[in-house]
Amino acid sequence: MTAQAIIQSLASGLLMGLLYGLIAVGLALIFGLMDVVNFAHGEFLMIAMYATFFLFAFFAIDPLLSAPLVAAALFVFGAVVYLLIVRFAMRAKANAGMVQIFSTFGLAIVMRGLAQFFFTPDYRSIPQSWLGGKTVSVAGIFLPEPQLIGALVSIAAFAGLYFFINRTDFGRALEATREDPGAVALVGIDKNRVFALGWGLGAALVGLAGAIMAVFFYIYPDVGASFALIAYVTVALGGFGSVFGAFAGGIIVGLVEAVTALVLPPSLKSVGIYAVYLLVVFIRPRGLFGSM
Amino acid sequence: MGSDCRFFRLYRINQSFHSITRNLVTGDFAMTITRRDVLLGATATAALVPFAARAQTSEVVIGVIYPFSGGSAQQGVDAQKAYETALEVINKDADFDLPLAKGEGLPGLGGAKVRLVFADHQADPQKGRAEAERLITQEKVCAIIGTYQSAVAVTVSQICERYQVPFVSADNSSPSLHRRGLKYYFRAAPHDEMYSAAMFDFFDAMKKKGTKIETLSLFHEDTIFGTDSGNAQAKIAGERGYKIVSDIKYRANSPSLSAEVQQLKTANADVLMPSSYTTDGILLVKTMAELGYKPNAIVAQDAGFSEKALYDAVGDKLEGVISRGTFSLDLAQKRPMVGKINEMFKAKSGKDFNDLTSRQFMGLIILADAINRAKSTDGEKIRDALAATDIPGEQTIMPWKRVKFDEMGQNNDADPVLLQYVGGKFVTVFPPQAAIAEAIWPMK
Repeated sequence: MTAQAIIQSLASGLLMGLLYGLIAVGLALIFGLMDVVNFAHGEFLMIAMYATFFLFAFFAIDPLLSAPLVAAALFVFGAVVYLLIVRFAMRAKANAGMVQIFSTFGLAIVMRGLAQFFFTPDYRSIPQSWLGGKTVSVAGIFLPEPQLIGALVSIAAFAGLYFFINRTDFGRALEATREDPGAVALVGIDKNRVFALGWGLGAALVGLAGAIMAVFFYIYPDVGASFALIAYVTVALGGFGSVFGAFAGGIIVGLVEAVTALVLPPSLKSVGIYAVYLLVVFIRPRGLFGSM
Repeated sequence: MGSDCRFFRLYRINQSFHSITRNLVTGDFAMTITRRDVLLGATATAALVPFAARAQTSEVVIGVIYPFSGGSAQQGVDAQKAYETALEVINKDADFDLPLAKGEGLPGLGGAKVRLVFADHQADPQKGRAEAERLITQEKVCAIIGTYQSAVAVTVSQICERYQVPFVSADNSSPSLHRRGLKYYFRAAPHDEMYSAAMFDFFDAMKKKGTKIETLSLFHEDTIFGTDSGNAQAKIAGERGYKIVSDIKYRANSPSLSAEVQQLKTANADVLMPSSYTTDGILLVKTMAELGYKPNAIVAQDAGFSEKALYDAVGDKLEGVISRGTFSLDLAQKRPMVGKINEMFKAKSGKDFNDLTSRQFMGLIILADAINRAKSTDGEKIRDALAATDIPGEQTIMPWKRVKFDEMGQNNDADPVLLQYVGGKFVTVFPPQAAIAEAIWPMK
C-alpha cells in the first residue's frame, strides 16, 4: 500500500464525511429542538434527490442551480410535516415518545410507497451536469468535483448555521425554545412557529445535501435507507441535538469508514464505524458533543 | 418525576431505534401498492371463477415470487411483464415453435388456462419463506417460480421441498442452489460456474490471439450471488493460471465505494470482473471515473451490468464492457420468433428482453410444458414431468443446446454467451458459434 493510496483514502473519506455531516445535521437540529427523532429523515433526502432529478429532467436546471430551490422546497415540506403530523403526535398524553416514533416512521413508509408508485422503482441518475464525472487531480490524488463542492457547501452550511443560531433573533428563539419550551411562551415566542421553522430548516439542510448527492449517486425510492442509518450513527456519535456534533460526527464517520476499508476487507467497513460508536458509548454515552 | 418520565421515554426511543434502523436497512417494513394490487387482483379473479369449475382444474395456478418493493422492486416489475408475456403465449393461440404456443391453454389438462399469483418477497429470505408457504397453503399453487435474488431462492426452495411442490429457479445463478440434494428444484439456465467458465474460455481464446491477460481483479458484493460468483471465479482462475491481484468483497448498497475503487486502481489488473447488482454497479462506474481508474477490460457477471438503468446512467463510460449472458437479441437474426416474442414483451414493458426477463419467460414456458405433460396439478407428477423434460434448443428463445435436467435439477446444456456493449447495444462476441462480431479489446 503506497502513501498515495492512504492519502487518497483519507481525502475521499473526509469529503464523504463532510457530506454525511450535512445529511445528519437536520436530524440533530430537530432532535435538539424538541427531542423528536425524525425517522423519515432518509426519505427527506430521497425526495430532495428526486426533486433535483426532475428539475434537471424537465427543465434542464443543473443541480448546482437547483440546490437552493430544492432546499427551499424542502423547507416548506419540513414545516408542513411538522404542522400536519408531528404537532399532533406531540399532543399525545400517554406514550408520547412512541407516538412520535410511529408518526415519522409511518411517514417514511408512506413516502417510500408513494415514491415507488409515482416515480416507479426504476433507478434514475443525472447523466450530464456541470460537475458530474469531473475530477480535480492534485499530485496523483483525485478529488471528484461533486464531492468537493459538496464538502464546501457543507462547511458553508455549518458556518451559516452557527452564525444563524448565535447571532439572529430567530436563532436565539430557537435556542431558548430548546432550553425551555414552556418558559418561552411567557416572553411571547410562539412555540409552534419556532418548531415549524426548525423542521423547515432541518429539512432544507438535508435538501441541500440531496441536491448535491443527486449529481453523483443513483436515485430510487429506497435510496434514503443506507444514508439514514449513517445519519443516525453520526448524530449519536456527535451527540444528540448538537449541531457541531453532527459536523464532527460526519467527519469521523467518513474517515473511520475509509481507514477501516484500508485495514479490513471492505465488506466490513461499517464495523469500524460501529466500533468507534461503541467506544464513545462506553466513554461518553451522550455523544462527543452532546449535553444532557 | 418529570425527569424520570423523560429518561424512560428516551430509553424506549433508544430501544425501538435499534430494531427500526435495522429494518430501515433491509427495507423490511415496506408494504406496497403493487403487492396489494396483485393480491386484490388475485382474490377478485378467484372469486369470479365458479367453484365447480375450479374443481375440474379449468385453471392451473402458479405462484410467482419476486421483489415488488424495496431496492430491487424494478426487477420484480419487469419480471411480472415477462411472465405475463409467457402467459399470453401459453393461454392464447400463437404461431411460435415453442412448447404450448399453438392452441389455447394446456391441452394435457383439457385446455385449462394458467393463472399466476404474484407475491412480494422484498428481497428478504424470511419474507420469501413466508410468502412461499402462503402461496402453497392459501393460494393452492401447484408450482412456484422465482426469485431474482439467490439468497431468497434458498428459503423458497426449502419450503417447496417440504410441501413437495416443484420450484423453478428461473433467474438465480448461484451454483450452490442445485447442490443441496433437493428433489423439487429445477434450473434451466446456467449457474455462475458455467458463466465464469465461459469467461475464462474467452480469456484463453483471447490469449491465443496474443492479447495480454494475466492478472484479474475480482469485485463482488457480499450476499450469496456475489460470494458464489467470486468463489467460482477465484477457483477457475487458479486452475487456469490467472493471477488474482485483488479480490474485493464489498457491502451491497454501500453509500460510497471510494475505498474499494482505490484498491482496484492500485492493483490495476488486466481485467476487472465485477459481480454487482444495479445500484452498486452504477456507483462503481461513477466512482471509477471520478478516481481516474480505467481498466483495460471489464468482464461482468451480468446482474446490474445487463440492466437498462445502469446503461442509462453510466453507459457513456462503459463502451466496450463485456457481460456474460444467457440471452442475446442477435439470435433473432437466426430465429425470427425471438424478435416477435421480444416485441410482445416490449409492448408490455417498454424494454427489450434482457438476460433476466428472457430467462423468466423461458422458465414459465418450461414449467407449464411439464404441467401439461404431467396432465395433473399434483406436485409429485409435475416434478417427474419436469425431470423428464427434453426440449431442443431451437424450441426456446435462448442460445442453449437443449433443456434437460440432471439428477440435481440443473440443465447443463444451457450455454452462456458473452455480450459486448458497443455503440449503445449488446453484440454477441463469444462463443464462436453464436458470435456475430470480434471482441474489441482493450475497451475504450
